[in-house]
Amino acid sequence: MPTPTLTQSIVITLIQCLLVVIFVFVVVPLTVFAERKVLGHLQQRLGSTRVASGHVGVTGWMNRGMWKWGRIPVLSYWRGIPGLLADVLKLILKEDIIPTKADRFVFFLAPSISMVSAVVVFAAISFVPGTFFTFPVWFPFVGGLPVSGGIADINVGLLWILGVATVGVYGIVLAGWSSNSKYPLLGGLRSAAQMVSYEVPLALSLLAPVVLSASLNFGEMSARMATGMPFWALVPQVIGFLLYLTCGFAETNRLPFDMPEAENELVAGFHTEYSGMKFGFFYLAEYINMTVVAALASAFFLGGPWLLPFGLQGLLIPASVPFIGQPHAIFFVAKIVFLLFTYIWVRGTIPRYRYDQIMAVGWKYLIPMALINLLLAAAIRCFAV
Amino acid sequence: MFKNEEMEINLGPQHPSTHGVLRVKLRLDGETVTHCRPMIGYLHRGVEKICENQSFFQGQVWTDRMDYCSAVANNLGWAEANEKLFGITVPRRAHYIRTLLNEFNRIASHLIWLGTHAMDIGALTVFLYAFREREDVLDINEAFCGSRLTTTAFRIGGLREDLPPGFEKMVHKFLAKFSDCLEEYENLLTENRIWKKRTVGVARLNAEDAIALGVTGPMLRAAGVAYDIRKAFPYAAYSEMDFEVPTRTEADTYARYQVRMAEMRQSARIIQQCMDGMPEGPVMAKLPKILRSEVNEVYHATESPKGEIGYYLVGEKGSLNPYRFHVRAPGFINLQSLPKMAEGGLIADVVAAIGSLDIVLGEIDR
Amino acid sequence: MNKFLRTLIPTDIAKGLSITGKHFSQVFFTANRRKVPFHIVSEYPEVPVKVQPRYRGRLTLLKDEQGEIKCVCCLACEKICPTQVITIEKGKKEGRKMPFPVRYDFEMERCIFCEFCVESCGFDSIILNHQFELASYNREDLSLGTEGLGQNMFVPSPVGKFSVADD
Repeated sequence: MPTPTLTQSIVITLIQCLLVVIFVFVVVPLTVFAERKVLGHLQQRLGSTRVASGHVGVTGWMNRGMWKWGRIPVLSYWRGIPGLLADVLKLILKEDIIPTKADRFVFFLAPSISMVSAVVVFAAISFVPGTFFTFPVWFPFVGGLPVSGGIADINVGLLWILGVATVGVYGIVLAGWSSNSKYPLLGGLRSAAQMVSYEVPLALSLLAPVVLSASLNFGEMSARMATGMPFWALVPQVIGFLLYLTCGFAETNRLPFDMPEAENELVAGFHTEYSGMKFGFFYLAEYINMTVVAALASAFFLGGPWLLPFGLQGLLIPASVPFIGQPHAIFFVAKIVFLLFTYIWVRGTIPRYRYDQIMAVGWKYLIPMALINLLLAAAIRCFAV
Repeated sequence: MFKNEEMEINLGPQHPSTHGVLRVKLRLDGETVTHCRPMIGYLHRGVEKICENQSFFQGQVWTDRMDYCSAVANNLGWAEANEKLFGITVPRRAHYIRTLLNEFNRIASHLIWLGTHAMDIGALTVFLYAFREREDVLDINEAFCGSRLTTTAFRIGGLREDLPPGFEKMVHKFLAKFSDCLEEYENLLTENRIWKKRTVGVARLNAEDAIALGVTGPMLRAAGVAYDIRKAFPYAAYSEMDFEVPTRTEADTYARYQVRMAEMRQSARIIQQCMDGMPEGPVMAKLPKILRSEVNEVYHATESPKGEIGYYLVGEKGSLNPYRFHVRAPGFINLQSLPKMAEGGLIADVVAAIGSLDIVLGEIDR
Repeated sequence: MNKFLRTLIPTDIAKGLSITGKHFSQVFFTANRRKVPFHIVSEYPEVPVKVQPRYRGRLTLLKDEQGEIKCVCCLACEKICPTQVITIEKGKKEGRKMPFPVRYDFEMERCIFCEFCVESCGFDSIILNHQFELASYNREDLSLGTEGLGQNMFVPSPVGKFSVADD
C-alpha cells in the first residue's frame, strides 16, 4: 500500500470528516423522528403518521400514500417522515428573535459552542479499528489509499473525548446568561450545575474499562473490552454500564434528569428565548450528545464493532474469515441505535427527579458506586485477566 | 456588597400542564417558596347570575360546564337539590341509575387526575393509559345520554329515559378489564422510587389544618378524617351500597394518590352492585308541568370526585326562576390550602401540590 | 438488607420498563394488521367514527310521509332553549289546519346541543341527528333555516371533503 503524501492525507481526513458529519446528521434527525414514533408506540398510539393540512395538495397526496402504507410491516413505521422534513424546514424558516437587551455576540455564540463541541467529539471515536475501506484505484487523487475507521485514533482518545464533551456546558451557561431573562438564567445555571456534577461519576465509571484494558486509546479499549478478556465486557461491568448510562442521561438533560428543561415549571429552561435555527442547534446538540454517550457505551460495555448478542457475529461472517478478528461498523451502529431506543424508552416510562434530588443522587449515590465499581475492575484485572 | 433578594415569579395562567387558567404568584428564596398565593377568576363566566334568569329546568346545562371532568356528579347534586326544594320523591330505579353514572364519572375524574398529576411529575405514559380507560367511560356516557362530556344526564324527578339496550354489556366489558388497568398504573407508579421520592412527604396538609380550611374530599381522607358524604348523609342509592371509604394518615401527596386509586376500586365495586341489584320500575316521578317555587331555601351537598359539592337554592314565591343559585365548589375551597402546602417547599413541590389538589378551574371560577 | 438490595437493583424501574416495552412491541410488530389494533387511537378520518344511537348532533326538522313539515309552531322549543337560538315565525299555509312555521331559524353557533328542544316538542317534529362534523369556513353557514340559506334544516349539514375512505 503506497504511503500517502501530506495533501492526500488531508484529503482523506476531510472525506472522513464528511462521512462523520453525514452519519451524525442522518442519525440525529432519525432519532428525533424515532422519539416521536417510539414514544407513541409505547403509549399505545401511533406517533406521527400524517403531515400538514390533510387532504389537499402535495401534503394530501403524501397523506393518502401514507395511509396506504399502514398495513405494510416495515413501511408503516416510516409514515410520519414528511413531518420530520416539515419540522426542519420550519426551524430554518422561522423568524430569528433576539431579545433587545440580550448580549448579541454571546447569544449568537452559545448554540454554536454547544453544537461544535458535540460534533467534534466524533473525531476520536473510531467506528472500526484499522482500515474501514480502501479507495478503488480509479478514484481521483486518493485512489488506492486506505481510510481508517476513526478520524484521529489518538493515544489519549478517551481523555480527549471527555474533555471536549464538557465544553458543551459552556454553551448552556452562556445561553442562559445572554438571554437576559429570569427563566433562562435559572434554567441555564441549574442545567450547568447538573451537568458538571455528573461529570465526576461519568469519568469514574469510564475509568473501569481503562483499568481493565490498560489503555486510553479508543480502538484498543474497545477491542480489549470486547475480545481481550475471557468473558464479555458486560459481565464484570454491569454496574459500570448502568452507572454510565445513568450519568449519560444526566449529562444530556434527558428524563429522569430533565428538570432544568421541564416545561411544566420553567417553560423551557435555558433555551426559552431562542427561536428558529439557534433553537434547532440546541435541540440537535442534545441529540448528538445522546449519540456520543450511546457510542461510548456501546464501544466499551456492549462490545463495540466486535460482538453481537449470543455470539451471532460468528454466524454472519463468512467462514473463510477468522472468527474473532473481524469487526463490523454495522454492529457498532446497531448498538448505538439500540441505546438511543433505550433513551427514549426510559423517557416514556419514569417520572423525573426534583432538582435537589438530582444533585443528591449524583454526589451521594453514584460517586460511591462508581468508586466501588472501579475497585471491582481493579480486582478483576489483578486476579482474572 | 451582596444583597439577598426574593424573586417573585408567576406560575401561569397559561400552563404547559393541564390545570386550566390558574395563576399562582410565588415568592422564591433561591429554590424555596416563601410565599404562595393562587389567583383565580380567569374562567369566570357568571354561571350563578345566569341561572337566576333561567328556569329551574334549564339550570342543569350550566352545571355540566363547571366541573367538566365529571359532569354527571354536578348534575346529580343539582337534581337532588331541586328535588329537595320541591319535595319530589324519585323512584328507586332512577336512584340506582344515577348512582351508577355517578360512580362512572368518579372513575373518569380520577383518571384525569391521575394522568395529569403523573404528567406533571414526568411520567408521560400514564396520561395516555388513563385516557384509554376514560374513553370507555365517555362511551358509556354517550350511550346513556347522548353526549360524552357535557351530559345533562338527569332531570328533576328522575331521568329522561331508561337505560339503552346493550348498556349492561358495555358496563361488563369495562369492569372486566378495569382492575387490570388499575394494576398497570400501579406497577408504573406505586413502587417506583422516583415517584416515591417526588411524592412521599411532599405537600403535607394535616387534619386540623384541613378541617380549619374547609377542605373536603380525598385530601381530607388522606389526612385521616374518614368523612365521606356518601356514608355520612347518604343520598341516591348509596345507603344500599356496600363499599369502603379509603383513608390514610400521612397526609402527603403519596397518601392522596393511594386514596384516589383505592376510591377507583371502590367505585368499580359500587358499579357492580348497581348492575346486580337494579330494581324495575319507572324512572321519572309524576311532576306538575311547570315548576313554580315557593319561598324556600335548601342546601344539598353530595360527594363529587373532588370533594363536597353543595347547591344552595333559594326560591321566590310563584317564580319560575330561582332567586339565588349558588354552588359550593370543592375546588374553590380546596385551593385555599395551597399556600399551606406549598410554603417551605421547592418549586417542583408546588407543581406536585397543585396536581394532588385535583382542581378544575371550571368549578372554581364558575 | 432487603431494602438495600432493592435500592441497589432497580427492579421497580425494570417493572415499569417492561410494561411500556410490552405495549411498544405489540404496536410495533403488528402495524395495523389486526382487526382490533393494539393502538387505541383510531385513524379518523380514514376510519369512520361510530356514534351511539342517542348521540346529540345537529338539530333537524322532520317531515312526515306526505312531505309536510311536522312542526305546529307551539313555540315550546323556543321557550325552553337555554341559549335562545331558535326563532320561529308563525304563519298559515293553504290546505293545512295547524299553523305553519314561515321562519324556523336555528343559530348553530350558540347551540349547546342539550336536546331540551327535542324533549319539549310534543309533536315529534325535531330531532338531533348524528352529525358532529359541523365546522364551517364562514359564519353565515352556521345560521340554519328552512329555505333560502346555505344550509337548511331538513338535510344533514354538508361535510367537507376530507375522507380518503371515499376514494
